[in-house]
Amino acid sequence: MSDANGADRVPLLAFANVSKWYGQVSALMDVSFAVGTEVVGLVGRNGAGKTTLMKLTCGLLRPSQGKVAVAGHDAGSATARAALGFCPDLDRLYERLSGRAFVAWMLRLHGVGSAQARARAGEVLEQLGLGADMHRRIGQYSKGMRQRVRLAQALAHRPRVVLLDEPMTGLDPIARHELAQTIAQLARDGVGVLVSSHVLHELEAMIGRVVLIHQGRLLAEGRVADLRGQLRGQPHRLRLGSERPRELAAALVRLPQVVGVEFADAAVQVALSGEPGFYGTLTALGAGSAGLVEEVQPLDDSLASVFGYLVG
Amino acid sequence: MGFPRATGEVARQTVLLLMQNRLLWVVGTAQLALPALSYLLGGAIGDRHAGRHDYAVTTWTLFVFVLVPWTTLYCGVQAVHADIEDRTFQYLFLRPVSRAALLLGKLIAVAALSTVLFCFGAVAWFLGFAARSTLWPEGVEFELVAIYAQAIAMAATAYAAIAVLFAARLRRPLVWGACFIVGLQVFVGNLPAKARIRYLTITDPVRRFLLDRLNPDRQLAQDLWHWEHEFKPDLIGQPVLNLAILTAVATALALWFYTRSEYDSRERE
Repeated sequence: MSDANGADRVPLLAFANVSKWYGQVSALMDVSFAVGTEVVGLVGRNGAGKTTLMKLTCGLLRPSQGKVAVAGHDAGSATARAALGFCPDLDRLYERLSGRAFVAWMLRLHGVGSAQARARAGEVLEQLGLGADMHRRIGQYSKGMRQRVRLAQALAHRPRVVLLDEPMTGLDPIARHELAQTIAQLARDGVGVLVSSHVLHELEAMIGRVVLIHQGRLLAEGRVADLRGQLRGQPHRLRLGSERPRELAAALVRLPQVVGVEFADAAVQVALSGEPGFYGTLTALGAGSAGLVEEVQPLDDSLASVFGYLVG
Repeated sequence: MGFPRATGEVARQTVLLLMQNRLLWVVGTAQLALPALSYLLGGAIGDRHAGRHDYAVTTWTLFVFVLVPWTTLYCGVQAVHADIEDRTFQYLFLRPVSRAALLLGKLIAVAALSTVLFCFGAVAWFLGFAARSTLWPEGVEFELVAIYAQAIAMAATAYAAIAVLFAARLRRPLVWGACFIVGLQVFVGNLPAKARIRYLTITDPVRRFLLDRLNPDRQLAQDLWHWEHEFKPDLIGQPVLNLAILTAVATALALWFYTRSEYDSRERE
């Protein structure tokens, strides 16, 4: 089964009506969604329930209600854990071990032989740019290097589902770019990836879909553009580049779909109601003899805007 | 990965991690001086006691009463609670091995490391006494080392079980462990035979085991069990069984807590 993006929707990770309470406090309420062979972003404010959701997937926590399945197996079971890789948002590691020794040890617990584990650990660390430093103690690593070790232990055993909690933390821009490529490659290789990040523009660049969590509830789920399209109550904002912004503004305010106009340098920012027909008029303003519009740039189709509209 | 293999792998790795601890190296290295110290002590004691008495009493005090409890407790807490405290347990719990295998592997590692370390110490301590032939009118009794090695192994295993229980369940296991050693082992463990609460300790069954194997004279029995003024062989009972039950109960409780707990995995502010 595939969705419009071609993403395979076989649920490698499935949440079915999952709730989690810590005593009287509700951390997650009746959350249901699925992840196939794709990259899905997990977005929410601090305390929204993202980490709880990831820990439930790992089996570190048990759901108070509902069911979490990883590759068709109950989360927390040995089979599910074998299919799962988790990069926690936790700057703690075995400081006295070398990067390679740590990753190799984790692989040994997956039943990989000693020599193979060392070789595979070296291979993954090499891919993540730690080849030259893999024999140094983790305690001597920089923040970015430590993050790569955490990623390596999550990926080394070739899991079918990967959870990445703030994976960009501590990485330099080049490493961030490389990690985004690695994550995209994982999905192409048939891995389901659930990634949480507060850096929404970076997250948006690598995900196919997004799951928005707010106060323990699933607020929205789907492609960012689709979610924006569903927000009919919110004005849509565009930046229109023009050499004659005053004339453009005068033309725009006469349109029934326009609810606000602002000047910004050689451009006009316009707020639109959800009524149809605006883009036909815009084409006429740009392509016709008036030639008032030179550039159109949506201002709130981003994940950050959608998140802002939904969460407030 | 099967349970025994996983347990073995965790034990192996735990030993490697613990061996990077400086304290163990300090204790291990310090033991190299034990032959010289016991040789000097043997000379100072002169002919007041036989070598077996001196070795039995000093080894009991130094190893079974002091070094084994404190070091094993420390290692057990390091092996189990350090992971929980700094949240690195997450990396282990994510692997397809049972938590029971993880805990048992750590327990075995702690018990084995402590046993090897202090059996080496007991041998080193013996060498100094053995070198003074005047202390052994009937010949050097090498079997004393074997008896104490067994006692050390039993005590190390029991203390390791207690340590992992405290580490798996309690927030400040070293503090509770210190209370356990000082309160139960030092005071309760030395109570006379009529005090049945002794059965809750490790000191008492290990001492009864030694009294059984050493076949002590009145003076040695008195020195090993100060508060029991009239030691009789029928007070020995079944020390190995008593200790095995204590160890098994502590291990079972530790496994229960470790496998069922939802440890806090959030980074501390």
